[in-house]
Amino acid sequence: MQISAFVDGELPDNEADLLLRRMGQDAELRHRVAEYLAIGRALRGEISVPGVDRIHERVSAEIDDKPLEDLIATAGSPPTSAIRPLAGAAVAATVALLAIFGLQQTTSVDESDAKTLAGSVAATDAGYTVPQPLDEQLRQYYMSHGATATEFGANGINSRFVSLRMSEETLQDPADDEETAPAEDTEEQPTQP
Amino acid sequence: MQFLRRQTLARLILLIGLLAGFATALADSSDPSVWLDRMGDAVKKTSYEGTVIRIRDGEAEALKVVHTFADGVIREKVIAQEGNGLEIIRNGNEVHCILPDRKSVLVEEWDDQSTLFSTLPSRDFRFGSEYDVSIVREDRVAGRQANLLAVRPHDGYRYGYRIWLDTETSFPLQTQLIGTDGAAIEQIKFAEISLNQEIHASALAPSYSTENYRWFNQSNLHVTRSVETGWVSSNLPQGFRVISTHEERMTDGDQFVTHILYSDGLANVSVFVAQLEEGDSQGESNVGGSNAYSAIVGDHHVTAVGKVPAITVEQIATTMRAP
Repeated sequence: MQISAFVDGELPDNEADLLLRRMGQDAELRHRVAEYLAIGRALRGEISVPGVDRIHERVSAEIDDKPLEDLIATAGSPPTSAIRPLAGAAVAATVALLAIFGLQQTTSVDESDAKTLAGSVAATDAGYTVPQPLDEQLRQYYMSHGATATEFGANGINSRFVSLRMSEETLQDPADDEETAPAEDTEEQPTQP
Repeated sequence: MQFLRRQTLARLILLIGLLAGFATALADSSDPSVWLDRMGDAVKKTSYEGTVIRIRDGEAEALKVVHTFADGVIREKVIAQEGNGLEIIRNGNEVHCILPDRKSVLVEEWDDQSTLFSTLPSRDFRFGSEYDVSIVREDRVAGRQANLLAVRPHDGYRYGYRIWLDTETSFPLQTQLIGTDGAAIEQIKFAEISLNQEIHASALAPSYSTENYRWFNQSNLHVTRSVETGWVSSNLPQGFRVISTHEERMTDGDQFVTHILYSDGLANVSVFVAQLEEGDSQGESNVGGSNAYSAIVGDHHVTAVGKVPAITVEQIATTMRAP
C-alpha cells in the first residue's frame, strides 16, 4: 500500500524519494501509480489529489526551467547514468499529466494529400496529433462499427459509453431549442413509453 | 479374510474415484478456456451491485452498476458518478439512456448477447490461433480472490487482454485492454462489488423523474440491407476474415455505404466504402483504444475502424481494392 500512501501524500519523504526513483526504472510501477491517481480522482471527484501536488513540487524543485516536453521524452528512454537523477521527476511529470489531463480523441491528417478535411486542423509533425472534434461521417462510422461488433458479443461497457457519448452529441441542448424539435438524425417520440 | 479383501477393494475404488475427481477439478481450474466459458455465463447470469472504475486515456470515471438476471431477462442500471450524471436503465433489450442535463432520454435496442461486461465474444466466435490464453497468477481485486488470465496476440495487429476472474463465480472483476507496448489502453475494474446478493427492484428504477423529458428513438439510426461485394483487401492481416457485408445509409444523406466487417474472432474491424466526395480526406484518428484510417482508393473513400492498433486499420484501409 506504499503507492496508496504516496498518492494520498502520506508517505514519508525518504520513502517517497525511493518510490520516485523506482518509478524511473519500472514501467509497471508508473502504470500502477497513474492508475491510483486516476482512481483517486474518480472516487473523490477531485480535480487534484495530494500525490499529484507532490509530484508537481518535485518537478518544480528539481528541474527548474526544463521544458515539460523534454521531461516526457526522457521518461520514455531507458535510464542512463547521465539522466538518472532526473528520471524519477521526469516520469512523475508524465504521471501527473496523465492524472490531470488525459487525452481526448485525436485526429491527424495526411498533409501530403491535397484533399484535406474541410475545416480540419492538420497535424504539424509526424509524432504529434491535434485534438479536434470528429468529422460527422467518421463519428457515424465509429458508432456503426460499435453497433455491428456488438452483434458478435465482443463489446462491453467502454464501447457502450463511447457510442452513448457520441449519441449525446447528436442531441440539441434544450436551452438552444425550446420548441423541442428533434435532432436531425433522431426520431423523437411524442409520448413516453 | 474375504471380508477384508472386499473392504480393501472398496477403499481402493473410493480412492481412485476421489483421485479422478480431483484430477478433473485440477484440469478444469488450470484450463483457461474453461474459465472463459464460465465467464461468459457469469457476466450474464450473475446478479451484482457495485462501483466500477472505468479508466481510459488517463481519465477515470466512477460508475454505480446493478445487474440482475431473472426469468431469462437481463435488467441493468448504470449511473455515472460525475459529469452530466448519465444514467442507463436496461430492461431486457430495451435501453433508456437518461441525460438529466439535457432533459432527454435516448431509447436504444441492445441485443441479447451484449451485457455491460461482455468484453470477449461468445464461444461461437472464440478466437483461434492468433492468440495465446493463459492463467498468469492468483490476485486480489475488490477484496475478492481472483485468477488473472492473459490473452496475448502473436503479432502487432491486435490488442491483448488481461482479465481478473473471480475465483468463486468467474465474474470479471477487472479487465484491461493491452496495447502493443504492453501498457493498458482501457481498463474496467470494480472498486467494490456484491455478487449474487438479493437486489431490490427499486435499485433498478430510474433516479430521475423523466416526466418532462424529450424522448428520442435511436433504433432507426441506420438503414441497412445485406449485399455481396467484390471489395477485398490485398494484404489482410493474418487471421482476419469477412464476417458480414451489408450496405448502410448514413443519417446525413441518401448515399449507401458498403460496410464490411472483418474479425479474427476477437478483434473486429469495419471497413466503410463510400463514393468519394469533395472534402474527403486521408489520415488517421482515434477514440480511446479504437483507431480509424481513411484512404482514397480510385473514386472511393475507404475507412477502416476498429479496436485494434493504428497499423491494422491503416493496412486494411490502404489495401482495399475495388472489384
